[in-house]
Amino acid sequence: MAGETVIKPDLQFINRVIAAGGDTVKQCYQCDTCSVVCNPTPDSKPFPRKEMLRAQWGLKDVVKDPDIWLCHQCSDCTVYCPRGAKPGEVMNVLRKLCIETYATPSILAQMVGDYKFLPLLIALPVLLLALALKITGHWGIPEGPIVYSHFFPTLLIDAIFVPAFFFAVAVLGKGVLAYWKDINRDNPWRVKVGGNLVGNLIATLKDILMHNRFRECETTYNRSTNHLFVLFGFIFLAVVTSWGFLNEWALHVESPYFLLSPIKLLAMAGTAALLYGIFNIIKERQANAEKVGYGSYYDWFLIYVIFVVGATGLLAWLFRLVGIKILAYPTYFLHLTAVFMLFFYAPYTKMAHMVYRTVAMLWARMADRGF
Amino acid sequence: MEMEKKFGVYLCKGCGIAEMINFESLTKVIKKEGKIQHIKEHDILCSPDARAMIMEDLKPEGEAINALVIAACSPRVKYEELDFPNCLVERCNIREQVAWTQPPGAEETQALAEDYLRMSCARIKKTDLPEPYQTECDKTIMVIGGGMAGLSAALEAANNGYQVLLVEKEAELGGYGAKMYKSTPSSYPYTTLQEPAVFKKIQEVNSQPNIRVMTSAEIVTIDGQPGLLDATIKVGEDEEVIRVGSIVLAAGWKPYDAGKLEHLGYGVSKNVITNIEMEELAKKGKIVRPSDGKAPERVAFIQCAGSRDPNHLPYCSDFCCSASLKQALYVRQSNPEAVAMILYKDIRTPGQMELFYKQVQSDPGVMLTKAEVTGVAVTAGDKLLISATNTLLGDNVAFEADLVVLATGLVPRTVDEPILNLTYRQGPGLPNLELFNGFADSNFICFPYETRRTGVYAAGCVHQPMTMAMAAEDGVGAACKAIQAVEHVAAGMAVHPRAWDETFPDPFMQRCTSCKRCTEECPFGAIEEDEKGTPFFKINRCRRCATCMGACPERIVFFKDLNVDILGSAIKAVDVPEIEDEDDPEFPVRIIGLICENDALPALDAAAVHRLKINPTIRFLSLRCLGSFAMEWIKIALNNGVDGMILLGCKYGDDYQCHFAKGSELCAYRLTKLSETLDKLGLEADRVQQFQIAISDFDKLPQMLDDFVARVREIGPNPFKGL
Repeated sequence: MAGETVIKPDLQFINRVIAAGGDTVKQCYQCDTCSVVCNPTPDSKPFPRKEMLRAQWGLKDVVKDPDIWLCHQCSDCTVYCPRGAKPGEVMNVLRKLCIETYATPSILAQMVGDYKFLPLLIALPVLLLALALKITGHWGIPEGPIVYSHFFPTLLIDAIFVPAFFFAVAVLGKGVLAYWKDINRDNPWRVKVGGNLVGNLIATLKDILMHNRFRECETTYNRSTNHLFVLFGFIFLAVVTSWGFLNEWALHVESPYFLLSPIKLLAMAGTAALLYGIFNIIKERQANAEKVGYGSYYDWFLIYVIFVVGATGLLAWLFRLVGIKILAYPTYFLHLTAVFMLFFYAPYTKMAHMVYRTVAMLWARMADRGF
Repeated sequence: MEMEKKFGVYLCKGCGIAEMINFESLTKVIKKEGKIQHIKEHDILCSPDARAMIMEDLKPEGEAINALVIAACSPRVKYEELDFPNCLVERCNIREQVAWTQPPGAEETQALAEDYLRMSCARIKKTDLPEPYQTECDKTIMVIGGGMAGLSAALEAANNGYQVLLVEKEAELGGYGAKMYKSTPSSYPYTTLQEPAVFKKIQEVNSQPNIRVMTSAEIVTIDGQPGLLDATIKVGEDEEVIRVGSIVLAAGWKPYDAGKLEHLGYGVSKNVITNIEMEELAKKGKIVRPSDGKAPERVAFIQCAGSRDPNHLPYCSDFCCSASLKQALYVRQSNPEAVAMILYKDIRTPGQMELFYKQVQSDPGVMLTKAEVTGVAVTAGDKLLISATNTLLGDNVAFEADLVVLATGLVPRTVDEPILNLTYRQGPGLPNLELFNGFADSNFICFPYETRRTGVYAAGCVHQPMTMAMAAEDGVGAACKAIQAVEHVAAGMAVHPRAWDETFPDPFMQRCTSCKRCTEECPFGAIEEDEKGTPFFKINRCRRCATCMGACPERIVFFKDLNVDILGSAIKAVDVPEIEDEDDPEFPVRIIGLICENDALPALDAAAVHRLKINPTIRFLSLRCLGSFAMEWIKIALNNGVDGMILLGCKYGDDYQCHFAKGSELCAYRLTKLSETLDKLGLEADRVQQFQIAISDFDKLPQMLDDFVARVREIGPNPFKGL
């Protein structure tokens, strides 16, 4: 028949889904309970049933389906699934594979998703930072009161982190552009994309900041609140970082800042929000594990990196205030390592969801899929 | 043995009967019109106290009562409490048909109760105690077919101490079960394939001394009747006649002809094979493409290939879904890089096979989707492209495969072979199997193994499509029925459904005109003819439905408790009130209701249990089957002044519910002849009508009856009344 889609199952793809934590994908017997109980799913061509089906059939184009990003993994589907197929978990794995597909180099994404490479992924920033200190002759604990820029000069930090940041932005940008092209071309559930890009993007960002869709979840409603804390923690800290950058290079204000200065207060609020959010995420994931699944290594990698970033930031600050040098500097070094991991690996870890999900939500809004 | 009858009437006052009926005037009627003087009442007639009272009356040295009218509840209840050995017992149902369905104190209620007593008294006078028909009886069970069902039936019968003759047409036992590479799991957790269970059964059969196995054997003829069946069996050039008592027909099935499935690529490409061929491939070793001997990487299974399809087999063959799931595992085990795609209409995995389905489904390389396959084409690269609509993956998709397996269904052997080769007048096989797509099945919903030939019980896939595990169970069930048949024959009782019945048709042959209606109409082929064309009964084949009695224009078929005259007397006994005003629309109507004891009577009882009001003008008489309906009864009724007659029988037609297959249909046919006769007499045909009713329709009964009575009122009183 003309125009028919040829189905060629790919066993390798199924094995990848299973290995990445979607080991329940084959349990699905396509009853559609998942799509019925899902609140955020659109009325027409709803997810996650069709994604489950394509995943269990080994149709690897499913990772290009923007619908996988419209799912916030409320896990209502997983709770109601009569066969224990955990569609929520499978959708999460498909998102991981989507990130992997669009990341350059893809091998790094595979390493990030595999616990065997964790020592290597930690060793890379540790060695890089240590080497930078060594080469510039700063290796060692400086004399005098604790001032972190004496230990690790600001210029050196910027020389490492600014390129790392732009590297991540470039990789994400490349991936997301390719993704945007693909969803507009390849998606079998293609619909006519309409509306203006900027207006829709603003509306989408507003949705994200309010977590409007995330809050439609029932089973794990608290996740949206926790996630909101983490998000605003990051926003505050991003402002703080930019402000610090400005202080350093434009206003020439030296850190550390006065304890009750606005920048310091904002930093404290941001850190508190981040730690509060991430701590609750860890707690609730463990509490809900039996009901909705424990999540995969890919989730926990990011959760712990964020946790370490927040915790080492807080501790470095506290150690400085009480003046324990021997703890303060190593903690600060750890903090830098974690921050490097957060930024540099962002295009390969779950962190990349912030751009892919934003783009998919933008596309869905423009394609009139449930927004 | 004609016995001197001494009559007694026992009236029960329990269950609300006494509150509804005036026993004083009832007793007067019994004495004066029923002509029975020995009458006793009891508050609870089914109690041990009442039984002791009656037993006292039965003593030869005392009253020596031996013919009892028990006026109490329906004959369908309390049959043990109200049964008395070596006595005639006539149950008069004044509880369900009067006390529970009529208003208290009404004139019509009393008239109804009195009529029922009149009818019972009239009836018992003409009834005699049956003497069982006993012949020599061989209790050997012959099992035809050595597949799973047959092996299982043979073992069941043999293990219960019966001699078994197992006849298999092929050289080896086992049937299709032995041709399989592996079988689906038969025990918990139902997840792993196993050796076909049939081999163990073969071993058991071979070591069971009660079973005689004949292989490469062919049934030439089967002659006689249950208990006395002579099977002529041919092995090679030798013929042997062996006497058996009853038969389990487990002749099995054959695959549907895939040659008719060209639209699915069969015959077009070598790489389109059937599930049977797939089984052979697997048994040989590795699964390879017939065209080039290469291991296929993608194998597609097309379910319902020629099944559930009006152009091919309209039914589901039951085993194909499990078989394809199993064969998908063959594919996976043969080549771990290969995938198996199962395209189904619906996955049907009955019973515990659901667990197996779950297991197979969880294999990463087994994919399933609903799909309507529209065609299979060969592509340039010698691959196969299966086009499908309405799939879960889209409405217009094609599946690329290296090998296609058609999950073809099964066809029963009986579809075009009689198998039994009976020497019966009505033919060598089982009749009317076209109603069941050739399966040796029936609509005897309560008696699943029965066929239209008494003593022949179907099991396995010749009976219905089924899986191996079910066939094993089916064999056990059929063996139990076959045992029941020989035991009842030996005891001189009907086999079923009237399994207690010791009466049998005993024709008065001097008056037989050899019209052959009985031989034609007997649903069970129980009546043969001699060389002169005179019919004679093979009683052991008879189910006692009395269809022959209804068919016989000479009214010469008699049962000890039923013949045209006995029931005619009961009809005559009904008291028809005289009509004072011809034009009074409320004139006292009298209707006779002839009802089938299998569905209509229970429906009436059910209406009574629900305390529904039944029209009081109808006097019901239950029949073994409407097939026994005799036209004479209409004449008797109309002569007696009755205004109409209603017949309630089972549903007939292709999806008949008649327990004797043909009875209600034959009755309806006879009624078509009747309307002409009534017209000639100047009577309206609507006075006699037949309705179809199922036991579950009890709630519709009151309206149905009221409507009929209203119609009779509309027609007006019987003009012969009082003549």
